[in-house]
Amino acid sequence: MTAAAASPPGSPHPPRPDPRRALRALPALLLTTLALAGPLLAPHSVDTPVTAPYAPPGGAALLGGDQLGRDVLSRLLHGGSALAASALLVAVVVTAVAAVIGCFAVLSRRLGGLVERTADVAILLPAVLGVMLLAMAWPGGGRWTVVLAAVVLGVPYAVRVVAGAAAPLATAGFVEAAAAGGEHLTHLALREILPNLRAVVAVLFGLRFVEAVYVVSMAGFLQIGPQPPAADWALMIRENAGGILLNPWAVVAPSITIGLLAISVNLATTARPAAGARRGRPDVSTP
Amino acid sequence: MLVVLLAVVFAAVRLLPGDAASATSERGEGAAGVAARRHLLGLDRPVWEQFADWMTALPSGDLGTSARGERVDDLLAAPFPNTLLLGGTAFLLTVAAALALGCWASLRPGGAVDRLVTLTSTAAFALPEFVVSVGLLLVLSLWTDWLPAATVTGADGTPASWTMLVMPVLALTIPQTGWNALVVRAALADQAAAPHVEAAVLDGLPPARVLLRHALPGALPVMATGFATSTGMLLGGAVVVETLFNYPGTGTVLAGAVADRDTPVIAGVVACAGAAVSLVLLLADLIRARTTGARP
Amino acid sequence: MNLNRRQLLWAGGGMGVAALLTACGGDKESATSPAGDGGEPRRGGTLRVGALGRASAITRDPHGTQGNESDYLIISLVHDTLAAPGAKSNTVPRLASGWTSSPDLTTWRLTLAKGAAFHDGTPVTAADVVWSLRRLRRTPAGSARLPGIQEDNINADGEDAVVLVSDYPNAELPLLTRLTTFVLKKDTPDKEVAKAPGTGPFVLDWFRGGNARLVRNDRWHGGRVHLDAIEVTMFESPQAMTNALLSGQIDLASNAGAVAARTAAARKDLQVVRRPDDMAMPLVMRTDQGPFADPRVREAMKLVVDREAMVKQVLSGYGTVANDVLGTADPRYAKDIPQRTRDLERAGRLLKEAGFDFGRTYELVTTEDVPGLADSATLFAHQAREAGVKVEVVKQESGAFYEKTWLKGDFYTNYWGTNDSVVFFASKTMVTGAGQNEAQWSDKDFDAAYRKATAAADDTERATALHDLQKLEFERSGYLLWGMADGIDLAAAKVHGLPRLPGYGRVQLEGVWLSR
Repeated sequence: MTAAAASPPGSPHPPRPDPRRALRALPALLLTTLALAGPLLAPHSVDTPVTAPYAPPGGAALLGGDQLGRDVLSRLLHGGSALAASALLVAVVVTAVAAVIGCFAVLSRRLGGLVERTADVAILLPAVLGVMLLAMAWPGGGRWTVVLAAVVLGVPYAVRVVAGAAAPLATAGFVEAAAAGGEHLTHLALREILPNLRAVVAVLFGLRFVEAVYVVSMAGFLQIGPQPPAADWALMIRENAGGILLNPWAVVAPSITIGLLAISVNLATTARPAAGARRGRPDVSTP
Repeated sequence: MLVVLLAVVFAAVRLLPGDAASATSERGEGAAGVAARRHLLGLDRPVWEQFADWMTALPSGDLGTSARGERVDDLLAAPFPNTLLLGGTAFLLTVAAALALGCWASLRPGGAVDRLVTLTSTAAFALPEFVVSVGLLLVLSLWTDWLPAATVTGADGTPASWTMLVMPVLALTIPQTGWNALVVRAALADQAAAPHVEAAVLDGLPPARVLLRHALPGALPVMATGFATSTGMLLGGAVVVETLFNYPGTGTVLAGAVADRDTPVIAGVVACAGAAVSLVLLLADLIRARTTGARP
Repeated sequence: MNLNRRQLLWAGGGMGVAALLTACGGDKESATSPAGDGGEPRRGGTLRVGALGRASAITRDPHGTQGNESDYLIISLVHDTLAAPGAKSNTVPRLASGWTSSPDLTTWRLTLAKGAAFHDGTPVTAADVVWSLRRLRRTPAGSARLPGIQEDNINADGEDAVVLVSDYPNAELPLLTRLTTFVLKKDTPDKEVAKAPGTGPFVLDWFRGGNARLVRNDRWHGGRVHLDAIEVTMFESPQAMTNALLSGQIDLASNAGAVAARTAAARKDLQVVRRPDDMAMPLVMRTDQGPFADPRVREAMKLVVDREAMVKQVLSGYGTVANDVLGTADPRYAKDIPQRTRDLERAGRLLKEAGFDFGRTYELVTTEDVPGLADSATLFAHQAREAGVKVEVVKQESGAFYEKTWLKGDFYTNYWGTNDSVVFFASKTMVTGAGQNEAQWSDKDFDAAYRKATAAADDTERATALHDLQKLEFERSGYLLWGMADGIDLAAAKVHGLPRLPGYGRVQLEGVWLSR
């Protein structure tokens, strides 16, 4: 990571193509490619025992064996695609829904109140319990259960964030002018407010993705969604926790990949680590 | 609000396949026996009736009876304070760490520290509690023997030694600190654009002073909401963390109760947890009201 | 982490270590030091025991539905059952010192042990036993716990004997009194049951949230108790329990599992106690309808499974290969039936003959109730694919499994955390109309053999009938029993005299002592 020079105070940040952005997106691209192409690279099949249970690394298995003696490396290469895809889907849906609802919420008092209430209830319900209940009520759902639960639990918070960012815009001159011009509510929300929230939405998406990785892997850990013998990073951690002293790699490797996945995508989506991209905003620091 | 949530819980458990009478039956118990216990537990009555009964007993502190015939308040009497201790400690630690990191990062936006904090916070927040727990267990206990691996309680039902609290608290704190440091960082960045802060900067005040005196108070409402949100996540994380460290709290009770379809126990845990979260939310609202003069 | 354990209280008897120590695949560690080494038992010390249990499933009533091993451990140290699992025979005396039966095997008279007294000093009388047994019989599961014995047919005979009358001849009746026949004082109110004095080797000092401290009962009728006290800590997961043992927080981890054993095997300061024949994990194939109704298909499945690989991979080698007959540690287990081995060619032939549909994918339903269960399904699916049979593993959460699959499904895994007698399994799970006939099996020849075995007073006749019964079970039943898992306890090196019996024999801690 090269440290970016602090921008001089008062200088605007015009949205110009940033070569560093491509660099930022690189890890995410690499990891996603690896997650998706992993199955092609795996030396063994995911459910063939090749060594003793929890065999230490070496020989046929580069990262040792898991609880059934299957190859940890092969399972690691197989186990990322579904998790990454689910998390991505959740992040996209939540961000899109929240962005639209949030923009409407600031324009309509009733909807705004409703959003507040729903978010309050959602905060009271621990996400884990929500996922558990939903998964049990719909046992055949598999991964879709988790995606649904994560969306339902994620939207209220996200709407709050968008609404919070959009609130000043709703009273901004150009929106009021458009409203006075008799523009329809939909037009106001989607044409006037939403485009001005691009940066917020991008940051939100990054955070949502991380949150989605968290929920999906937590659910996987609680055995909701992926089912054995499927390889899944979160499931691997759970399945192999018992043998952590015999072959730590069976647990440590998927832990690392989950962390990396979340971080790399987050890097790619945040244009700048600061919640910047607001035009003409000076920094708090003095150079 | 809480009543709505509890009604949802009651309805949701009813939707699950199986019920408490069959989930807690022994192998060998005939269908007649299960039916008899179903009647005994009142599971043959409509769900709204069960809910109404449970709710009317609630104000007197009576949380009903578990599927195995134990009183729910007895089941929760020891675990709930333990979870409060665990969650409370983690919460305070989270607030302190997140404030420190967030402020440190915003002293130089875009600087090396800022990048580092943002990156590690993102990483920490991305790691589910169980990943953190497993890592801590491996490094601090199983490989080095520095800390006890599991919690063992004494006669009074509390952890026998404070060292047993260290790892569970850390496991809960690390992800939440990541999340809150980002919130604090963003809130302060927003404040930096506020006119009174800009004025302070132009007056040539030292950055630390600008931060503490001018930016931080304005950022409080957003931060308070962020921290309040964390409370719910802390309780959710407790389910996994308590199980992994064998910490005798409500998280473990909840996990088992869901498996047993034990509605009164689940509802009892949710009621206690909900009450705790509501309290924090109320505090957050009070802070917001104090600092902004009205609820936005 | 095991979020939904659900145990059954059918504890196992069996003959223990001497029986059936056949080859264990890939097992390099020797079994533990024999019991009784370390010289003369030393008196004193506190044993810290870890046992599995869930906070939400805590039960204090000795006659309640115990889902927690920790609760059962505490209860069986404070209270006595009439009989207990034994090493030489399935049933040995405990609070009952002996029993006799009428020639037709319906009426049984049990005599109480001399000098047995409750912890508060009151002697145990026949009235206490009758009251306790009747209370047990009245529980919802009572008819399964004391099958064939009506409440009115439990009566006192003088001060120190109890008479039980069975509805049908039952040569194995004392077997029924081994598990949950905890004796409390007559008329103990339900509210006080949790703290009621027992007659067992330890007295309850305190109990809190699943954890308890027990102190020695110096006047126990069963002999000398060496330990000053036992502290029981409840663990939600085997991993947490193993970690606690590794870091020296407990001295004994009860029922810790094979992976824990391998972790501890390298440590000099720990011992691994293996109790063979502890847990059966059969695959169940429904016999009256569905794809496995044809006995040839069932036999083919039994030929498809690679038993050695199962034991080696699923149990890490801590187990023994089995032969599709349940009750492997019974002294009357038919060891002479030839061991079935993998034969894909013959399996394929049988499947073709039966017109088996190879195009379909068959669902094998499993749960995570016990460690290794889901793994066994996963591995079997893999082995079946080598025979061209497509099997897909479906994992159900425990509650849903018992509601939807158990006793109803076409193809599922199950477990019996006990290794009870051959007759026990036959009566519970295989006779036509048995309450837990898991494979819905109904076979006239088998039923006849079973009736003969339970009603025959003559020992040779019974032995022959039992052998026939097992032969039929081997050939036709819906059980594919690939192996038996060892029960595994881990303990610090200073602990001696640990129990060695499978199943619930592991709770007999009264003979344990600590060396310095």
